[in-house]
Parts: sequence; C-alpha cells; structure tokens
Amino acid sequence: MKLKFSLVTRRTFLNTLFFGWLAAFFSGTVYALMRFAFPTLGKEPDFVVLNWKDFAHIPPNSVKPFPWGGTVGLCYRKDDGSMIALKGVCSHMECNVAYKPAERRFYCACHQGWFDADGRNISGPPPKPLETFVITQEGEKLIIARKGVKVELPKA
Amino acid sequence: MNCPRLRDWLEERYDIEGIKGIALSKFVPEHRHDIWYYTGGVTLFLFILQFLTGMLLAFYYVPHVDFAYKSIIEIVTKLRMGWFFKSLHHWGAQMAILFLFVHLFGTLLMKSYRKPRELVWVTGFVLLGISIFFGLSGYLLLWDERAFAAVRVATGGAGAFPVVGGFIKAFLRGSIDVTGETLLRFYAFHVAILPLVTLALIGLHLLLVQFHGMSVPPSLEKEKLREVPFFPNVFYKDLMIWLVVLGVVVTLAVLFPPEIGVKADPLAPPPENIKPEWYFLFLLQTLKLFPGSILGMNGETIAILTVSGAILFFFLIPFLDRRSARGERSPLFTWIGVFYLIYFLVMTAVGFLS
Amino acid sequence: MWTGHLQKRMKRLLNRTRLAAAAATATLLLWTTPFGAAAAEKIAVFPETPYDGYIVYESLIVFWAAIIGLVVILRMKLKEIERTQSLGADREDKDAPLLE
Repeated sequence: MKLKFSLVTRRTFLNTLFFGWLAAFFSGTVYALMRFAFPTLGKEPDFVVLNWKDFAHIPPNSVKPFPWGGTVGLCYRKDDGSMIALKGVCSHMECNVAYKPAERRFYCACHQGWFDADGRNISGPPPKPLETFVITQEGEKLIIARKGVKVELPKA
Repeated sequence: MNCPRLRDWLEERYDIEGIKGIALSKFVPEHRHDIWYYTGGVTLFLFILQFLTGMLLAFYYVPHVDFAYKSIIEIVTKLRMGWFFKSLHHWGAQMAILFLFVHLFGTLLMKSYRKPRELVWVTGFVLLGISIFFGLSGYLLLWDERAFAAVRVATGGAGAFPVVGGFIKAFLRGSIDVTGETLLRFYAFHVAILPLVTLALIGLHLLLVQFHGMSVPPSLEKEKLREVPFFPNVFYKDLMIWLVVLGVVVTLAVLFPPEIGVKADPLAPPPENIKPEWYFLFLLQTLKLFPGSILGMNGETIAILTVSGAILFFFLIPFLDRRSARGERSPLFTWIGVFYLIYFLVMTAVGFLS
Repeated sequence: MWTGHLQKRMKRLLNRTRLAAAAATATLLLWTTPFGAAAAEKIAVFPETPYDGYIVYESLIVFWAAIIGLVVILRMKLKEIERTQSLGADREDKDAPLLE
C-alpha cells in the first residue's frame, strides 16, 4: 500500500534516527563508565566472624570495637557479666558513638545524643535505638549476626 | 530540537538568534587540500577523550611512591573494565600525539602560520610543548622501570642547559634524583596544572581560528573557491571522522592492551636497551650524534643548545618567513619544512630500529 | 595373631594408608611452598578466561556496528542538507508573515 503523503518529514525521520541511535550508543558507553566508576556500592554484612579469644576477657562495664563491614560495631560487657553487641553508629547522622563507663551510657558527640546500656535512645536527637546483634559462640569463633539472619559458615 | 517552550524561555533572556547567526556565518573553503582542515579537530577530539579517560582513572590511581604501582595493578585486575580504560588512555595518548604531529606538519607545509595567523601558530606551539610534557608526566605515573629511566634521562637532559639547567632540573625532580617527590609533582602537573593551562590555550587557539577563518594554501589563494557552511555540513563530516577515529582507538585499546612493566627501583640499573616513548626517539637519536666533547666543551651542553636552537628556529618560522607574510610563494621555507619532517621521521625510525 | 586371610587385608589397608599419607604430605608441601619469589608474575591486562575474552570481542563488534550506523546516519543527514541547500530551501524567510 503506497501512501500519498509521508507520515513524517525527512528532517523528523533523520533526526529521530540520529538521536535515537546516539542515545543507544551513549547509554551503553555510560553504563560501562558507571560500572567502572561505582565499583561496589557497599552493602552491610549479614554477619561477621571474629576470634573468641579477642573478646572473651573484656572487663565488665567496658566496650571493645569490632569491624562491621565498613563501619564499627561494639562488643559491650555489662556489669552483670553478660555481653551484647551493638552497631557503634548513631541512628541520627551516623557518627560513631562512645561508651561512657561512669554513666553506663553511650554518647554521640555530634549532636549530644544519649543511649542507655541496652542501646535505647534516651536523650537528644537520635530517633531510633542502636541496632543490636545476636552473638553466638562456635568453638574458637565468635559470630555476630544481624537479627533473623541464618548464619551459614563456608566449610573450609 | 522541538522544545518551543524551552526555546522561548531562553530567547526571552539571551540573544539566541545572534548566537545562531554567528554559528551559521562560519564558512570553510573547498579545495583539493581541504582534508588537512580536519586534523586539528581530530587532535581536539582525542584530547577530550584523554580528559575523560584520565578523569576516570584518577578515581583510583594513588600518586604515592609506595602505592602508585599497586593502585595500577588494582585498576587493571580488580575493577570492572579497568584494564580497558587504562589501555584506552594509553592508546588515546599515542594517537593524540600522532595526530598532533600530523596537524603540526600540515599547518607548516600548508603555510597556515603566515600573516595574519602568527599567534595561532604561537599558541599551537606552546600547546605542543604542553602535550609533550603531558606525555612525559603521565608516563612517569606508571612508576615502572622504563618510565623511571626515561624521566631520569629527560630531567637530566634538561639539567644540561647552561645557567638555568640546574634550576629546571631541581624544579622538575623536586629532589636530587627522581623520587616520590618527582612522582607527586608530575601528578600535580598531569592532573591539575597542565589541564587548566591546556584548556585556556585551546580556548585561545580556537578563538583565533574562528576570528581569522580557515587559511588557504598560498597556491590556491588567488582562486575563487566554493565555500561550505561549517554548520551543519563540515560539522557532520567532523563528527563522522571523529567517530571512526574513536573506533580505531578503541580497537587498538582492546586488541593491544599495554603490559604492566617491572616496578621502578631507584637503586637498580636501567634495563637493557631501554627506549623512551616514540615521540622522544628523534631527540634521543639527535643527542647520540654528538660526541662527548667538542673543542674542549661539554658535548651534552652543545647538543642541548643545538637542539634548542633548531626548535627555536622552528617556532620563529612565521616571523622569519617574510615572503609568505607578503603573500608570495616561499619555496625555501617549504623545503625547510620538508627537511624538518623528513628528519623527524628518519630519526624516529632509526631510534625505533636500533 | 591375625589369620592369613585377615592378614592380607590388613596389609593392603596399611599400604593404602601409607600411600595416602605420602600423597597428602607431598601435596601439602607442593602447594604451600611459594613459587620462587624472584620469578616475576605476569599480570593479566586482558580478561583471562576465554568466556570473558569472547565477550570483549563481541562487544567490540557491537561497538563498530554502532559507529558504522552513526556514520551512515550522519551521511544521510549530510546528503539531505546538501539537497535542501542546492534547492535554496535551507534559509528561513525572515519576512514571512506569521500564521496566527
């Protein structure tokens, strides 16, 4: 079926073809560039494996930091001897929190936020408590995991 | 582009019609040598490519003597397509300098430097020097034994200049020998200082070209030549050529990625049969022609002065070539240009083969 | 103490265990010794596995297809603008009345 008149002008046809092809070409190039420039957008780990020896003898009312992916976690031995693990990062603007043994509380210096011994936010701007982790000991290893995560260790 | 609202918004504030008028008023003459007009654009395109790939590599390269080599290995082995962008930057540099020389000798032999375009030549010549330094400074960043030896020779050679030599050498090296200080300041040059100076000079160079219009070879000056509008005719041709050049550079980068050399060791002797990058070979061969001492004077100093004299003469050609300035045929300077070209080609080939 | 039949089986078992122990020790020693620190390792500047290599070559071909496509389209645009220019139809008529 031959049309009497063209549906588009030559100019529209050529420009659409050109810019469309160019867009496809550039999107491929830009994709490759982005993969290079943004290599691994860091994800937090589901669990970390540490040596039990390093954390077994923390004195009561003190804290030992451990690496949690790219940030810091805190292993906290309370007065009664029990140990909990929390993420050492304030829930307000992600500054690192410090433990104040005298007050038995965690303190964030950026905006004067306070958390109690269980990580609950009690004073200042922090909107949420500190994230707590589940501690399990497997032989020589200490495993600190996010709540609800099933820990599967790779078989050596 | 069909965005009438955007166009109206801009036209209410800026003289869009005026800008369009200026753009559409640029015409390019058509003649049997007009293919040389494209060499400048290709060089510009390749330099833009170098800026882009360089910016990407700068995300990961560490300019510290203890980490430079390692960061390059990380880029090549750990990052996605890292090897490709490094290879593209390497081949882009080779092609950029190649086309720079093509453009240089093209304008020399077409006598585009003659009055009134002397300043175009001057800005272009400074850009040539900057580009060579771009190549040298970038090459040191690899911190392999070849780059290390090359920079030692180059800065040592600069030191052979009478009076100012020691000062230049100390400034370039940042220390007595080529060290981490040298690496850091070459990085500063390569990534910050030279790009800014290049941008300014290219801006000036292009502005002058727009102002003067395209030069026509003296033999065709008297003829009435057909003129083609730059937008869009010549621009489309430019784009086509740039796309093909991009294809060639990418193909070279994929098929011949450069090997990573041995890490630089300041205490080790230079490797056997070491050679600098190809665009330095003609200089090295020229220096080799000079004996150790001439008439009791230091041979190296004489060599440096002779080479500098030749380069200075080359630079001053627009001001020395009086006949071209008057619009007459100047066969003497054509032959001088041909001599320079042949010397460059032969010496590069000899340096390559020896 | 062992009867003849059991003795043979015991011997076979012992030999096999000795063989296994020897193999294990050899493997352990082989894989734990560093391969000559002086030997320069060749750093791979191109993807090593053939699969990745083929992906790269394929991408190069697609890339060239894109470039050639763009060059063809640009040539079409160039021919079109030259056609309109030869007709004299490329300039906007400044005095044309507006269609209200």
